[in-house]
This record gives sequence, structure tokens and C-alpha cells, in this order.
Amino acid sequence: MLPVHPQRSTSPWRLAFAEFRKNKLAITSVIFLFFVTALCILAPWLTSWDPVKINIRFINKGPSAEHWLGTDKGGRDIVARLLYGGRTTLWICFSISLIVTSLGTLVGSIAGYFGGRVDSWLMRFTDLVLIFPFLVFVIVLKAIFPDTGISIFIIVVSILGWGGTARLVRSKILAEKENEYVLAAVSIGCKPSIIIMKHLLPNVITTIIVQAILIVAGMITVETGLSYLGFGVPANIPSWGNMMSDAISPEVIKNQWWVWLPSGILITATILAINFLGEGMKDAFNTKK
Amino acid sequence: MLTYSIRRILGMIPLLIIISIIVFGLAKMMPGDALTGQIDPTKATPEYLAEMREKLGFNDPIPVQYWNWVQGLIKGDFGQSFIHKLPVSEMIAQRLPNTLLLAVVSLVITYTCSFMMGIYAGRYPNTLGDRSIISLNYVAYAVPSFVASIIAIYVFAIKLGWVPISGSVSIGVEDTSLMYVLSKLKHTILPALVLGLFNTAAYTQFLRNDIIDSTRKDYVRTAMAKGTNASAIYNRHILRNSLIPIVTFFGFDIAGLLGGAVVVETIFVYPGMGSLFINSISNRDYSVVMAVTLLLALMTLLGNLIADLLYGVIDPRIRLS
Repeated sequence: MLPVHPQRSTSPWRLAFAEFRKNKLAITSVIFLFFVTALCILAPWLTSWDPVKINIRFINKGPSAEHWLGTDKGGRDIVARLLYGGRTTLWICFSISLIVTSLGTLVGSIAGYFGGRVDSWLMRFTDLVLIFPFLVFVIVLKAIFPDTGISIFIIVVSILGWGGTARLVRSKILAEKENEYVLAAVSIGCKPSIIIMKHLLPNVITTIIVQAILIVAGMITVETGLSYLGFGVPANIPSWGNMMSDAISPEVIKNQWWVWLPSGILITATILAINFLGEGMKDAFNTKK
Repeated sequence: MLTYSIRRILGMIPLLIIISIIVFGLAKMMPGDALTGQIDPTKATPEYLAEMREKLGFNDPIPVQYWNWVQGLIKGDFGQSFIHKLPVSEMIAQRLPNTLLLAVVSLVITYTCSFMMGIYAGRYPNTLGDRSIISLNYVAYAVPSFVASIIAIYVFAIKLGWVPISGSVSIGVEDTSLMYVLSKLKHTILPALVLGLFNTAAYTQFLRNDIIDSTRKDYVRTAMAKGTNASAIYNRHILRNSLIPIVTFFGFDIAGLLGGAVVVETIFVYPGMGSLFINSISNRDYSVVMAVTLLLALMTLLGNLIADLLYGVIDPRIRLS
């Protein structure tokens, strides 16, 4: 007699994964992102050049067998700086996305669940955060707390950046809490914190995940743009944005393409891949269609 | 509509007050004197500081200082630039028209390009043309504005030499001539293009999808059944409906354009508010920084107000809630 396997129903996650696998663009993006992240993490084993120490012998050299993508004005190897810079940039953007998503989810779910006065005050606060011109205020805050390293940068950007997520989570929770299972949970005496954590959030988590992924892409733009202008990561730490800061002079743009083109392409390709990944996940989770 | 507008405008007042308090607070945290620009942060001997503090009323209670500052603002007194020895209001008056020109040209480019691409892609979906437009837009959506600026400078200003690399007008061109206007436009077009890139991609995408959705709607089928020709359906019936949401984005665009101007103007050395802001930060000219910050925040607020009002004009239901 054959053994009988109990029939397991497919979970939403499994369904989404099956859907996601059909999306070639998204899969390619995942592979690309995995590849870039792995290269950056393994930087110390992949290159022997120092990304920070100035080397006067090799200043502003074009690509060669020794330096595949040439060197910058400090004689530092571009490939090494790309790898180590990726560590900084990806780490920063990942951390910011994590903090922003947590803060936004916290505020948004409390506002959405409790409604009434709590909602109105929290959302007014959120509107206030959203009204500030983001880049301008990051730069002003960076001017007040100058050159204090990566963590201050992460904190400043996170404090100014959570508004959009809060609004999104609130609107999702507002719609979700009308369901009867929430009423059932309330009627058997569940605490609000349990209802939010155990019942509501799992049902809106997919939206939050997609949003968090798209925020990583947005933060790469913010970090590289600000570092390029000199208001992001301190200049002595390599990052994808810092690497391009020499390309503010037309002379460098004209004569030293290797200073700005490789990191420019890498930044754009990474953002593109993250966007494809986010879009792919959004489509995969949206199986109701 | 009038009551709605008045309610929206009154609703802005608390935000205005909070923004002014935050800007005031930030200015107090900055070295030197960010509000009137009278204390030089680089020349900080204790005697000098003490004397200036007394003279400028820094020993007054904080609310009194805040009130004096607000009174100055209402009269148009933004303080004095420390580096340029000029009233800040004068510097802003010089720069603001440039940024506005940049924003307007950018919006014109955005609307023209996205309408042409969006309408084409929406009308002929899944053709080669549509696919190329989509791919182009994905890249335009992803590329950060400073990378786009560098590439634009390299290709159009350096390699092709079509437009100048930087500035807002050629030196020695007379103020009133037609040449002046042309020179101004020539300098503005490249930064404006880069500044509008993100919006162009977003609008094209939106228009394309909206047009494709509309094609399946009943009113379009009716029009087709009555034998209306395709161009009339697309250009008159469908487009008119797709325009509504786009109009409401306009207010938010203002905020986006001002933020983007900070980056783009700096790279193109374009003398607008954004580059004034960055230069003043680098020079520690904090009175200018605070004035520009306040102004940019106000303009963002104004942009949101415009978005709300446009929304109310288009969708009467919004006015009632």
C-alpha cells in the first residue's frame, strides 16, 4: 500500500514565490544584487589595493593591467574603492530602510488602529515631517553636526524619512481593521498590541516589505547624491557617492571618465535592479488579480 | 470652493508657525549668528562675542528674540549675508528668478516629453516603440540626478558642444536683447532636462497605463461603435480623463523640483536658490542658509496647498470631507 501524504494547502508565501519565479527581470535583478553584495562583502579578499591610503605614485592614472579602472586623484585604485564603497553605501541604505520602515510602521499602525484623536495628532506630526524639503534639512542638520561619521548620517536621514511609510501603513491598517477577524479578536479581549502585532501586521506585511525595498533604492540616491555634494558620508570613508565627488569639476568630467563612469553605472544599475525586485515582489504578492 | 480654499489656507497657519519655530531653533544651534548674520563664526574671540551678543539682543529671552526675528521676516528683512556683506533678501531676489525659470522650463520639458511618449506607448502597447519607451523610462527613473547631470554635461556640453557647461547666461550679453533670452534658455535647457527626468519617467508610465486601462472602458467602446475615428478617441476622450490626476501632481512637483534644484544647480553652477544654499553652507554663511531653508520650506508648503486646491477643483467630493 502506498503511503498517504496529507494534502497541504499552498501558503500565500509559496504562491507568491511561484509567481515571482516566472518574472525573469526580477530574478535577474536578484542575481545581480546578490552578486554585487557578495563582491562588496568579500572586498578584502578580492583586491589588495588600499581604498583609503593615498598613493602618490599612481595619481590620476587611466585604466591599466594593474589598475583595471584606473586611479583617482589620491592614486587609489578605483576597483578597490568601488568594492569598499559599496560596503558603506549598501550598509547605510539598508540600515536607513530598516529604521525608516520600523518607525513608519510603528506610527502608521498605531494611528490606523486607534483612529480618532490619536490618529489625527500622529498624522499631523507625519504631515509636518513630510513638509520639510528633505535634502535641504538633511544638509542643514549635517551642518549643525559636522563630520561625525556614518551613524549620524543614518540617524538624520531616518528621522526625516519615515513619513511616507507611516502614511502607507496607516491607510493599509485602516482598511484591514474593518475585517471581522479583528472584531472577533477584540471581542475575546485581545490587547491592542497583540491585535496589531499578531493579526493586522501579518496581513499588511507584504506591502511594507515592498515599500522597504523601494526605500533602499531611494536611499541609494540620497546617500550618493549627498556624499557627491560633500554632505553625506565623511570624505575619508569610501562610498559610491564620495567616489564621484571629484567629478564636480568639468575638467575631471572631460578627461577622467574612469573616475565617474564606473560608479555612476554601478549606482544606476543597483537602483534599477532594486526597483525591478520591488516591482516583481509587488506583482507576486498581488495574486488576487 | 471658496470656503474650502479659505479652510485650507487657514489650516496652513499652524504649520507655518511650527516651521518658523523649527528654523529658528536650528539657527540657534548653528555657530555664529545665523539669524542676522552679524556675528562672524570664524572670528570668535570671547570679547568680540560678548560685545556682539549684547548689541544684537542675544541676552534677551528666547521668545523675545523669536518675535523680533519674525517681525523682521514680515517686513522682508532676512538679515545680512556675512560673506557678501549684502542683505539676504537682495541675494535671494537675484537668484529666485533663475530657479523659477529652471523649474518652468523643466516642467515644460516634462509635460512635452511625457505626453508624447505616454500617448504613443498607450496607443500602441507592446510594440517595439512602446517597449523602447518603457525601457528608457525605467533607466530615467533609476538614475540619480547627479549621475544624469554628469553624463549630460559629458555628452551634450563637452562631446557635442551644443550647450554651455555651466552658468545661466553668457558673459557680455546685453540685458535686454533677444540674444540675452536665447543665451539664458541655452544655459537652462540641460539642467532643466536633468531636473525633469524623474517626473518625465513617472508621468510617461502613468499616462501609458492609464490610457491602456481607459481603452477597455465602456465610453470608449461606445465611441468606437459610433464610428468615431481612433485619433479623436485617443486625443479627445481618453486623454481628457487621464489629464485629471496629472494636474493634481503639479503641486507636489514644485516641492520635488526645489529639492532637485539643490543638486542640479550646484553641478551646473547655475546661479539659483539651490546653489546659493550649497555655497552658503560651504562658506558658513548661516544667515543665508536659514533664509533659504525657510523659503524652500514655505514654497513646499505652497506647493502642497496648490495640490490640495487643484484636487478640490477637480474632484468636488474632496471639498466636503
